[in-house]
Amino acid sequence: MHKVKNPNELVERYLQAVRFWLPKTKNEEGLIAEFGDDLRSQIEAREAELGRSLNEEEVGAILKRCGAPMFVASRLGPKQSLIGPALFPIYRFVLKMVVIWVLIPVFLIVLAPINIVKAGGPWASALAATLGGLWSAAFVAAGVITLVFAVLERTHALDEIESKWDPSTLPPLEKPEKKPTPLQNAAEFAFGFFGLIWLLLLPAYPFLIMGPGAVFLQASPLIHTLYPLLVAVAALSVLRTGLILARPRWNQFTIWSELAHKVVTFVFLSFVLRFVEALPAANWHPFVMPSQSMAASAQSVKVAAIVNVSILVGLLIGWFTTGIATIVHAWQMIQRKRDSRNQPQPAASLHAH
Amino acid sequence: MSNGTAGPEVFENLRLELRRGCLTLAVLTQLQTERYGYTLRKALADDGLEIDESTLYPLLRRLESQGLLVSEWREEDKRNKRFYRLSSEGRLILDQLLTEWQRMNATLNKILQEARPCIK
Repeated sequence: MHKVKNPNELVERYLQAVRFWLPKTKNEEGLIAEFGDDLRSQIEAREAELGRSLNEEEVGAILKRCGAPMFVASRLGPKQSLIGPALFPIYRFVLKMVVIWVLIPVFLIVLAPINIVKAGGPWASALAATLGGLWSAAFVAAGVITLVFAVLERTHALDEIESKWDPSTLPPLEKPEKKPTPLQNAAEFAFGFFGLIWLLLLPAYPFLIMGPGAVFLQASPLIHTLYPLLVAVAALSVLRTGLILARPRWNQFTIWSELAHKVVTFVFLSFVLRFVEALPAANWHPFVMPSQSMAASAQSVKVAAIVNVSILVGLLIGWFTTGIATIVHAWQMIQRKRDSRNQPQPAASLHAH
Repeated sequence: MSNGTAGPEVFENLRLELRRGCLTLAVLTQLQTERYGYTLRKALADDGLEIDESTLYPLLRRLESQGLLVSEWREEDKRNKRFYRLSSEGRLILDQLLTEWQRMNATLNKILQEARPCIK
């Protein structure tokens, strides 16, 4: 600790420290001079009260009451913020949109499976690498968004938007979320039930799916392997819609089973795509192949290839949309849970329900 | 989630909020007579309104930049001091603020009178 010869030196050192932390503006010196004069006036007033000079400890007590130089400077200086209160809600919204609704889905639904497939080995390290990439991307995105908003804050670029704002451009009122009607539930059940029957009839009557192509096309071995699993998923779906139809008051079951249905569908589609990816390129017939009973003509091979690619594209789109729908559904469930917690509690009733 | 128990921190924030507007009014009123920072703080403290240095000087700067105060550096007791006083515009604004303050005070008193049975 530096020993002072003169208590006034302590004031000078204090002012020097405050000056160091004070933002450099044209008022800086005036502010320090004024603040210094106030401190000296306080010391003089105390000295007049005591009838003697203050010692180092007593001067130190006055400075201590004022506060640490860094905090005094922050209070004395102009109030500064990177993003002000007017822009902050928009900044937070954009940040949330980019990180939660763009980066996380892209990394977890698109890049993670690609990295896992590419790695061909332990999936945990591929997943860790994807999460590492997600962290870096989120960090960079947050930095760029913050920088853009800091520039907008300083240039007042959004002021014009506020002055031009027109109430008639407000979006229409959101309709309250409607529960499916019993008729809709019945239709969904009937559709699922007949779909299951149709699925069960396919091995015996392949023309139900292939139409005239059933003459020269047949299901691939992969389809035969996956068929029981597909039937099980479809049966579970019918069971679920049946339960919703029979027990319309089971709200929690409806919500949770819908999420489970989406997760199961997503896992199933991922499983199918993984199988397709593992097939040898030389004899690539993932879903249909030219019929064994007929000589494979160039035409039938070509048709089989077109059908296979079409089904694969359909599955990829289905896999992607199911993944997004699963995340959206899970997010909505979290939001609902949070909203229900934040809702005011109804007044306690004296009557037991 | 709120547990329904407002702590001392909440009270302190609300107290500061309540005080902020009053401080401006008190400072403008005191500066009808020319003063420098320390004597202004002392005058306010003597009347029961303590204000620390790091609150007063930014407030004086702000009021001056709004044209409500004028300031001047002068030497007194062998030291340079910045003296502040109300500008002509400041006097007008102070009159309006005092009228508004009295109106609000009357309204609040009326509300408090009506609610008195419920207030401990």
